[in-house]
Amino acid sequence: MIDFSRVQKELQECSRDMEASGIKVTPVSDNLVNLSGTIPGPIGTPYEGGIFKIDITLPDGYPFEPPKMHFVTKVWHPNVSSQSGAICLDILKDQWSPALTLKTALLSVQALLSAPEPDDPQDAVVAQQYLRDYQTFLGTARYWTETFAKTSSLGVEEKVQKLVEMGFPEALVRSSLEAVGGDENLALEKLCSG
Amino acid sequence: MDNQTVNNVVDADAESEDISESFLCCICLDLLYKPIVLSCGHISCFWCVHKSMSIIYKSHCPICRHTYNHFPSICLMLHLLLSKINPIAYKRREKQILEEEKTMGSFSPQFDSHSCQPLLDHMGNSAQSFTIVNESTSEGGIHENNGTTIPVQSSGGTVAIMEKNSPKNKLNGNRKQIAVTDVLCSACKQLLIHPVALNCGHVYCETCIIKQTDEKIRCQICLCLNPKGCPKVCLELDRLLEEQFSKEYALRKDAIQPNKVQSNHESATTCSMEAGKLGFNASFLSTGEQLPMWADPRSKIYFGVGCDYCGMYPIIGDRYKCKDCMEAVGFDLCGDCYNTRSKLPGRFNQKHTQEHKLELVKPIVIHNVMRGLMTGQLEDGSSALILANDIFAPVSDDVQPQENTSNTDNIIEENESEPAS
Repeated sequence: MIDFSRVQKELQECSRDMEASGIKVTPVSDNLVNLSGTIPGPIGTPYEGGIFKIDITLPDGYPFEPPKMHFVTKVWHPNVSSQSGAICLDILKDQWSPALTLKTALLSVQALLSAPEPDDPQDAVVAQQYLRDYQTFLGTARYWTETFAKTSSLGVEEKVQKLVEMGFPEALVRSSLEAVGGDENLALEKLCSG
Repeated sequence: MDNQTVNNVVDADAESEDISESFLCCICLDLLYKPIVLSCGHISCFWCVHKSMSIIYKSHCPICRHTYNHFPSICLMLHLLLSKINPIAYKRREKQILEEEKTMGSFSPQFDSHSCQPLLDHMGNSAQSFTIVNESTSEGGIHENNGTTIPVQSSGGTVAIMEKNSPKNKLNGNRKQIAVTDVLCSACKQLLIHPVALNCGHVYCETCIIKQTDEKIRCQICLCLNPKGCPKVCLELDRLLEEQFSKEYALRKDAIQPNKVQSNHESATTCSMEAGKLGFNASFLSTGEQLPMWADPRSKIYFGVGCDYCGMYPIIGDRYKCKDCMEAVGFDLCGDCYNTRSKLPGRFNQKHTQEHKLELVKPIVIHNVMRGLMTGQLEDGSSALILANDIFAPVSDDVQPQENTSNTDNIIEENESEPAS
């Protein structure tokens, strides 16, 4: 059974020092099981300037079991799957401690962005590139940040128009955008995947 | 779950009472309730500690990851202190936890809030032994048996643990104030300085505990052995003492300074001994360092079962289960505690009495299977499955310790003698 009063307290604490940490956690549904977190890309890394969205699912045993987290925003990083967004981080697995919170876990994910561990990779392709051709890695990571992690200033109609111009039917574009919460990159992905 | 209600409760609480950061549980993020001090000095609630313990392996402190194997008892002194410092919030927590316990079906030790006297749990017996220690002339309360000291139940032992508290508690008007008498060392009966809490929940000055240490630390109140060396100072409590009783604290500090210099070295050595030469489970602690415990052929582990006396969790070695305790959590003792005849009430408010019968339980067969897989001795999966049905099967009604070893040996032999397919 999830300790909901603790989750409530965590959310309050998080919103209290959002200014300082830049980390945001918001409930997706009313039941507090599915949450959504965002972390700013660390300064001085190819992820700088990006806002990364992380999907959080609390298991039944929370806080005695780690929360399940994966990147929704696409990230080019040795310890994050470029396909699924799965994160390879010890504290989200066997090194979890119930004294950690969603905020501290997200801070750790943020720290992981600035300190990749290519020897313990989640995405072997990225890790290979990181080890063999660091400059290309930096370029790709920066490009992915630009493309996927920068908040688009476009309004809904502009997004629709942009996607329609790509050749998708308008009704489908609108429903896809709605389904992913207005994120044009995700909508595009959804449209492409069928 | 009504989130609004939770918010309101928390807010109302915050308005009326200022809960000190240092007394927020790191797990439930609320005011500590029925606090337990771990051997590393970190505090958490009774249920928070229990739920965070590993059922199959060593447990780690949620804050510093210090390893431990024993579920400590509630620190009654802190329990009383917190109920005085934050009476409203503590009452709210009491109600909240009681509701949770009702849905869970297992209960934490219950204390009578008026006399601050514990009811029907093993601390109740601590209270009795306290009387025995104080009036050591009466009826020779301590009984020697096999070199181990055990408290004997005295008939009229109904004095509360902190007898000096009882007159104070009648003055309900000024409960927020805590007095020096609430925070006395169990040994020197003076204001605690650098307090350490033992596995049994009793609190001593660090210097007092080191002074009495020859080999094993034994609580002078309940006579329990403290597993695994010298606990570390509970810094949160120490800070509170220094703030609340700055004058007395300074005086005490000056008084113990000469001793401290001498003892500092000792404490450093005892605390750093990770394998716990001082602990009574030294054998498995040292072997468990390299391999998981279930890989050690000598160990029998009862996953998710704890000893209701010393708190070992999971029980390693022999396990004795009470046949008469009807509570869902059951009542169990480890081999050591069974052999010292420590038939005390349980840690989850079980109604265990001396009259109840205990029986030896067969080791979990899965353990052998895991070991088999690990060491390659057992490759026949089907037979392992059949054996697994016998988990927790009682061996016989009244078992002697000698029989027990032969029984378990048989099981191991059964497994190992099976031809590998």
